[in-house]
Amino acid sequence: MSEVRQHKVKDIFVDGPIDPSFVGTSIAKHATRQDIGAHEIFLGQIRADVVGADDRPPNNVVIAIEYTAYREMALETMTAIREEAFVRWPEMTCLHVHHSLGTIPVGQLCFMVFASSKHRQQAREAVAYVVDRIKSELPIFGKEIFVDNTHQWKRNT
Amino acid sequence: MEVLLFGMIAEKANTDRVQISATSLSELRTALTARIPDLDRMSYAIAVDRAVVLADRALNGTEEIAVLPPFAGG
Repeated sequence: MSEVRQHKVKDIFVDGPIDPSFVGTSIAKHATRQDIGAHEIFLGQIRADVVGADDRPPNNVVIAIEYTAYREMALETMTAIREEAFVRWPEMTCLHVHHSLGTIPVGQLCFMVFASSKHRQQAREAVAYVVDRIKSELPIFGKEIFVDNTHQWKRNT
Repeated sequence: MEVLLFGMIAEKANTDRVQISATSLSELRTALTARIPDLDRMSYAIAVDRAVVLADRALNGTEEIAVLPPFAGG
């Protein structure tokens, strides 16, 4: 627990998709923590969006997103968000964040936020809050690649 | 100073870093607009030392400057 609360800058980025088995392994690692009563996990998956359907042929469907990031700023911002979350939800025992870089095909996982706490409410609230902050504040950029090999740049709303 | 470019702005500029001389953020914006095609029609933020800065401010050339298109994480 102490290492989570030291607020060192942790690398959240992974090259390529997040393997679903990694999620299972992450859960399993908490088995020794007998003060935890609740895990809350958000997983982001690449969706086959039809983007710009009004001015593009109907077959222009997203097949992958290529993620890049301003890594140093993203990690510093994430550290600040993490610190705030631990203050706001003191019952939270751990918070794990992973985000993909590189080309992630449709159907694959690209984002994971995993919080654990004594009871469910704090873990739930923390995950919702951290997911929203990451989407709006981390300098991560996404190129939506279409089935016809054209692309456009994704923007979070 | 070296200015870092990301995402669609790096794509437009055809590079991920440019050399710009500027003593303030407003000067930097003007120079970037001249250097990067269509930048004035794109939505972007400027980060100074890894934090987004909105108001004009002086620059001494030692700062880490980045031009950031809209975020798309998650």
